[in-house]
Amino acid sequence: MKRIVCSLGLMVGLALASPAWADTSKLLLTGGVSSIDGAAGGGLTPWSVIGSNATERETGASVHVSRAGTQDYSLIAYGVTAGFSERVEVSLARQDFDASPAVALNGIAAFGVRPNEHLRMDIVGLKLKLYGDVVLNSDTLAPQISVGLQHKTVAAGSLGSVLNFLGVKTSGTDLYVSATKLFLAKGLLVNGTLRYTNANQNGLLGFGAGSPGKDAMSLVPEFSVALLLSPHIAVGAEYRFKPNNLEALGRAAGLGDALAEDDWKDIFIAWAPNKNASVTLAYLDLGRIVPGVTAGRGQTGFYLSAQLAF
Amino acid sequence: MKKSHHVVAGLAIVLSSLLVMPVFAQANPAPPGQTDELFRSFGGQAGLVRLIDDFMVRIVADERLGPFWKDTNLKQIKTQLVDQICVITGGPCVYKGDDMKQVHGGMKIGKPEFNALIEVLQVAMDKQGIAFSAQNQLLAKLAPMHRDIITVH
Repeated sequence: MKRIVCSLGLMVGLALASPAWADTSKLLLTGGVSSIDGAAGGGLTPWSVIGSNATERETGASVHVSRAGTQDYSLIAYGVTAGFSERVEVSLARQDFDASPAVALNGIAAFGVRPNEHLRMDIVGLKLKLYGDVVLNSDTLAPQISVGLQHKTVAAGSLGSVLNFLGVKTSGTDLYVSATKLFLAKGLLVNGTLRYTNANQNGLLGFGAGSPGKDAMSLVPEFSVALLLSPHIAVGAEYRFKPNNLEALGRAAGLGDALAEDDWKDIFIAWAPNKNASVTLAYLDLGRIVPGVTAGRGQTGFYLSAQLAF
Repeated sequence: MKKSHHVVAGLAIVLSSLLVMPVFAQANPAPPGQTDELFRSFGGQAGLVRLIDDFMVRIVADERLGPFWKDTNLKQIKTQLVDQICVITGGPCVYKGDDMKQVHGGMKIGKPEFNALIEVLQVAMDKQGIAFSAQNQLLAKLAPMHRDIITVH
């Protein structure tokens, strides 16, 4: 914890110390918002945009804090993202996942899961813009294209025994490529991201799976659309396909679909009262998350995120 | 199936109005395929003059952009801008101004300055009460000029 706070402080300090920070000049809402993993984009998926307000020849940074709550779980995410010359993005994020229902796993085996246990995940992200300009190339269909990686490490506390049972690793690296196009005349933004990952529930349940679950990486697509209703308000929707690595393992253990994982979906509204602040509210449908401990129900709820960008 | 009938009917109406329009058009009609709808949503010639007058006041006062306009003939630039946007929006004008690349080539304009200019234009368009969708349509036609205007990356 101390280390990540230090790194966050260092990055903000670096970004603020840059003489250009006060004059960063990206156009309103064109940097996207902060995703739960820290990368600039939508709420659940990264876009090819480079975070912060910095454009070419500038350095900028943003900080964000987000909360998602569903029937059985809640997640708090926070972090800092730095953008360099609208070319390179570096992000650090931490997720704190309230996994209280997992105490029911003690009924299956002597896992020793403590009540009100939390999972913590740290994510170091790197994104590089390869091509294009999401805003200014409005006379072509060519999107802006970026590649990125997200290195994730999960600290499971007393849930470590469960992760061992599942045969998952506690760290993993997602690779992705994102293409984003703003149809400026219509105020319509479309993003497609292809992610190469073996993360379970984005990594909160570890990476890969013991046999007969799927241990290998999968290529999974993610889509976002956003419509600018005014200079300050965008509405949109996202769909993120997910690998389902653990379900087969659960079935083999006689647990039925107890470990099934579903795609993530949301609809959102983002409000940017000025260049430095934005608030995003979303309705989430995360499908089943370890349905074996939540009476099999899908998880729906709200997501609220605030971002300051310079 | 029903939906596609509507689309076909809609297209037919659009096409026939396009065909009828040249009859009423004045001298220097909009290029084929382009109507003067956007020009009219900017308030026509008078609207563009008001917009550019206000825009230039803001540009000159802007600390990021003002220095670029020192020692320039503002009156001439305003006339050229009005003509240029008039043509771009489908209005009945002729742009006799300078080539974008030639004018900006030596000015060392980067993306920060280009974005700042767009921002000031957005403020000026807001002040004139121009609809958000019309603003975006104009910006979409202006933005590709970044290739001629931005020379430092």
